[in-house]
Amino acid sequence: MTGALIAAAALVLLLLAWARADKAMRDLPSDSGEWLSGLEEDAGISACPPEFVSQIFSNDDQAYVLGLNSRELERQFRHERNGVALLWVQQTSAAVQQIMRQHVEASRRSRDIEIMMEARILLQYARLRAACALLFVGIGLAGAEEVRSMALYTDGLTQRIGQVLREFDAGLREREMKNAMR
Amino acid sequence: MKGAMVSAEVKLIPLQEAYDDLLNRSLSRIRCELGRLIYLASTREYNTGNYYHEGLASRFGPEAAQKALEVAHRQAFYKVSAFSLEELVQELERYLESTKEDPQECLRAWQKLEPYRIAIPTDVNVTVARLFTSNLRLALAILRFRRQQNRLHP
Repeated sequence: MTGALIAAAALVLLLLAWARADKAMRDLPSDSGEWLSGLEEDAGISACPPEFVSQIFSNDDQAYVLGLNSRELERQFRHERNGVALLWVQQTSAAVQQIMRQHVEASRRSRDIEIMMEARILLQYARLRAACALLFVGIGLAGAEEVRSMALYTDGLTQRIGQVLREFDAGLREREMKNAMR
Repeated sequence: MKGAMVSAEVKLIPLQEAYDDLLNRSLSRIRCELGRLIYLASTREYNTGNYYHEGLASRFGPEAAQKALEVAHRQAFYKVSAFSLEELVQELERYLESTKEDPQECLRAWQKLEPYRIAIPTDVNVTVARLFTSNLRLALAILRFRRQQNRLHP
């Protein structure tokens, strides 16, 4: 009985955090709207460069704002940073999905599929999607600066999975070329 | 194959020269990175998104000039976006001092009209673009707050 109550409370908390993060996302100042999505159409979905990720979740910027002793500036800083952090989570998630889609397409065309390798890639993908979901909730609950380590971990994992899949897909193409030449 | 490589080199040389010329002649005269970014953004045509610089185009041809401006613009943008908040506030202060306008007026106009939005190049990461505008909004608010504090407690 107590266990069920705790689980229900945890679920409610999770939903509240999700709703909060979602609201924060919708409340973003207007520059996350159409003109930014226009940029995205031109540039294609790409993961954010790592040096900017550590800046989004930077403790130094927070310390600087806290040192100014202004409640209003602190509030504005949190609002702005959470907005950027949530957009980063959304972008990362979209970039990972795109990489995975490309990989699935490449694998579908290939006849040299390694089941174990595919299973490992799928597991990494699931870990990344879960990390993105947790970050989304974490930012809504505690703010961007509190999830810094997890964000950096997720970013590292995203870079790695992107690299591995690019190399893997290039290898697949090479093998296909060799088979076709025989 | 060899012909294609030679042609790529021929294309790259004027671009590199145009880029160096842009850095050495025009951009080196601007005191701050934010100023350079605003200047480079101003060489872009609003209607077409193409860059144009008369001197550069006459020396290196319109194509090399356009490409050099585009590359320099993107680099300046990423440089400013990578500033910490504290650095950006200092940078903004330097920029406001360098303009001939009243800094207070300029600050108010920047907060209201957000003209820095047009300083974002095309083909940049959307999260970095968002970080750029967000940081500038914060830097403007911080600068305004500091100026108010200075007036209250000189």
